[in-house]
Amino acid sequence: MVQPPGIYQGAANVIAALMLLLEFGMLRQALVRDQVRLYAAQSALLSVLAVVIAADRNLPDLYALAALSAALKVVAVPLVLRRLLRTDDSDEPAGVAGSYTLNPASAVLASIGLAAFGFFTFGAFHLNGPAAPALALAIAGAMVFVAFGLMIVRHDVASQAVGFFSLENAISLAALVVAAGLPLILETAILFDLLVAVVVFGMLIRAHHSRAESMSTGDLTRLRG
Amino acid sequence: MSAALPIPVIQLLQVLTVALGAPAITGVIAKVEARLQGRRGPRVLQPYYDLYKLCRKEALAPEQASWFFLAAPVIAVAAYLTIPLLIPVLTTYGLPLGYMGDILGGGFLLSLASFVVATAALETGSPYAQLGSSRAKTFSAITEPVVLFVVFTVALLTGTDLPYALAATVRSSAGQVIRPAHLLASAALFMVILHETGRIPVETHTGTNEFGMIEEARSFEHSGPYFALLKWGSELKQLILFTILADVFVVPWGLASSQRLGAVALAIVALLAKATAVGCVVAVIDNSFAKLRLFKITEYVSAAFLLAVLGVFTLYRGGG
Repeated sequence: MVQPPGIYQGAANVIAALMLLLEFGMLRQALVRDQVRLYAAQSALLSVLAVVIAADRNLPDLYALAALSAALKVVAVPLVLRRLLRTDDSDEPAGVAGSYTLNPASAVLASIGLAAFGFFTFGAFHLNGPAAPALALAIAGAMVFVAFGLMIVRHDVASQAVGFFSLENAISLAALVVAAGLPLILETAILFDLLVAVVVFGMLIRAHHSRAESMSTGDLTRLRG
Repeated sequence: MSAALPIPVIQLLQVLTVALGAPAITGVIAKVEARLQGRRGPRVLQPYYDLYKLCRKEALAPEQASWFFLAAPVIAVAAYLTIPLLIPVLTTYGLPLGYMGDILGGGFLLSLASFVVATAALETGSPYAQLGSSRAKTFSAITEPVVLFVVFTVALLTGTDLPYALAATVRSSAGQVIRPAHLLASAALFMVILHETGRIPVETHTGTNEFGMIEEARSFEHSGPYFALLKWGSELKQLILFTILADVFVVPWGLASSQRLGAVALAIVALLAKATAVGCVVAVIDNSFAKLRLFKITEYVSAAFLLAVLGVFTLYRGGG
């Protein structure tokens, strides 16, 4: 029998598992609009997890981090992404829907393999903390690999950007469960790194769209003189 | 207080509750579904009238069909009526016959029932019935891994694969409820049940549209009392699956913990209430999602598989 780890720990694990499920949701979602929505939901779960850990381990500065992270990743980044991806005639840019290299069912099965790899390699780290977060850390590892999987199976720049941002969510999850007591200033600095990534990706997306009239990276394989 | 019931009577009551309650649950779902669509809908008791009407009609069989064609509905209903002996329907304690089989035993009986009905449908030579049975077998083969992983989760959580043991584990503490393994396995099982009872993702429960027909098509050639048995069988299957979901996985509370008459009566009411609640959720889900194309079914099943596999994974690290 596998004994349960307790309520707070259990709740943290459930939230981590839900974040992983949303990662899979982004993987199989056809439209970038829905992917951005799932990304916002995943970031919201991350803030909830920060609140749970703050309450569990009595770390008041995590509340501040949760609020800041929610403001940035639930509101600002999705807003900017949606603005970037909007074209004159529609909300959904060309070249995103149907940019699968695998059909959704196969992509999910392949990513289960990736998730298993990430899960068991990250899970093999033996941490001796006050509340050893083995499961949530392993789930964060699985998320990292599924996010890579998402960037690999979709060949459009918009999904790849969303995959990259959710990769940052996975890293934040790992940081949160392993080193919750990290000084606030350091965590905020990491958070602001994300903003740089958003700006860089935004420029790349705009540049690609203005050259290729589509989000698909399939056009890049053609040589142009 | 009230008189204690002998164990065999309670065991019989488990079967009778499922046998007599099943059409009512179907009636409630049909009613709720109709209200959601802005129709008045049939009476809640309509499935009973349907069964009564069919029982008085003549039974016909195709000329080439063998005795098996007529035996299949009887075997299927017998299999469905055996399952309530194995799962916690009314009591928290295991009844003597409850240890005849574990979760896999119940699964075997469900598959046996579905297998005989599919074989009988093949016997008829009617294209629709054959299409239904071939589809039903194909898709049950792809949902089978999900069910297996749910059983693995149960086995890892409890150290046995008895449904009574899981229900007792879930009742034992809140920490057993709020753990990813339990929640993921329950969600995966719920997705399988939606598929198995013909709600989501492709089948229209009552429709005669052959694009989305799986299980419903198999009974096309049966008539009279045999058709009534098949209809009753699918209602039984639905209530049995709802009971497994509610009494084993999600809300194993409200079961009788003693042999007293009052406790058992309360458990019967609680079971029907829980099944009705599950039925309402199912009706809402059925009404709020568009049906998928037939071959998109793999996407739905892969999602359920993902939940079940992650449930097993989480048990290997940090106690899930």
